[in-house]
Amino acid sequence: MGVASMLQIDEMLGDFNRMNKRQSLYQVLSFAMIVSSALMIWKGLMVATGSESPIVVVLSGSMEPAFHRGDLLFLTNYKEDPVRVGEIVVFKVEGRDIPIVHRVIKLHEKEDGSVKFLTKGDNNNVDDRGLYAPNQLWLTKKDIVGRARGFLPYVGIITIFMNEYPKVKWAILSILAIFVLLHRE
Amino acid sequence: MTKKEDKTQPGEEIKYDSNSCLQLVKVNKWDGSAVKHALDDAVKTCLLGDRPHLKEQFGLVNTRLALCALAVGVAIMAHAWDYTHPFPQSRPVLMFSVLAYFALMGVLTLHTSFREKGTFAVAVHKEKERTWEASSDMKKYDDKYLLTLSVRDAKGVQRELHSAKSCAAYIDTNGIILDNLVANEVNRLYNSLSAEKKDK
Repeated sequence: MGVASMLQIDEMLGDFNRMNKRQSLYQVLSFAMIVSSALMIWKGLMVATGSESPIVVVLSGSMEPAFHRGDLLFLTNYKEDPVRVGEIVVFKVEGRDIPIVHRVIKLHEKEDGSVKFLTKGDNNNVDDRGLYAPNQLWLTKKDIVGRARGFLPYVGIITIFMNEYPKVKWAILSILAIFVLLHRE
Repeated sequence: MTKKEDKTQPGEEIKYDSNSCLQLVKVNKWDGSAVKHALDDAVKTCLLGDRPHLKEQFGLVNTRLALCALAVGVAIMAHAWDYTHPFPQSRPVLMFSVLAYFALMGVLTLHTSFREKGTFAVAVHKEKERTWEASSDMKKYDDKYLLTLSVRDAKGVQRELHSAKSCAAYIDTNGIILDNLVANEVNRLYNSLSAEKKDK
């Protein structure tokens, strides 16, 4: 079986060497189009949901038993939706990149619709004031990345794995890229 | 970068046998798509190789490449814009880019399915103002290689001939393409179409 697979790579390379300029250009463009399609689908989701990160992975167990580490969450961020106590929001603390998925436990609302709210993870003992920026006691709408609307269990474990072992991620992506570039249609 | 250069004197009969081929083309005979591409290349070389009056045209391929490049360009521009203007501000540009990208993909699919339709070689005979097109089709797990050669003259009249043979008729057990067998078939179709022309 090993010899057979070696021969196939041989013929694929032979195929690649015989490509003329236009065919090589088409191979490169095909690969670029696959990447672009993924990118455009992501941007399309961003526009459709209004959230800068429409799909996130739960990274910690602070929301158990509702969400577990590795769950995939689908978010929307429509301006018309009011923030209410009991809702699960995904927010980013100023100065930190990692979004946090917790529940709103206290809320103050002004007449003009602006809100400030406090969050806490279901599985945590204390509220999130320890996570906020120094001197920040409340979150506002602009910190919200989105509201959780649906989820898929366990699917996000792959993302967590790839982020913990980046070499595996680059190895897999490189092999896929080489295969797409060399294989004609 | 053609795979063979034909250096023959006028009047000399061309003998294709595996010894005179500069480069033997070997494919994985069980990979349908690789076989089809290799046969397409062989047909193109045989069609254009000993007919210097036929000049290859790249219009169809260029259109396809331009559409792909345009789509990729739109995607790159959208990504760059979003990177420099963080999300909420870039919303209208992103929306336009996404719609434009998928519209271009639709146009590209239409072009490949209806306009190109398996055509891998287009050549023009300058003096007689004729356009020759070679296209092929081979279904996914089928062995029949359907080759179509068509010629359109200056008045727009188009005639075509098909050849449906198993791809095993052109490839030996080791997966090497036998160019003499391909050439026989191509010449048969070409001469038949040319002969019909002269009768009219």
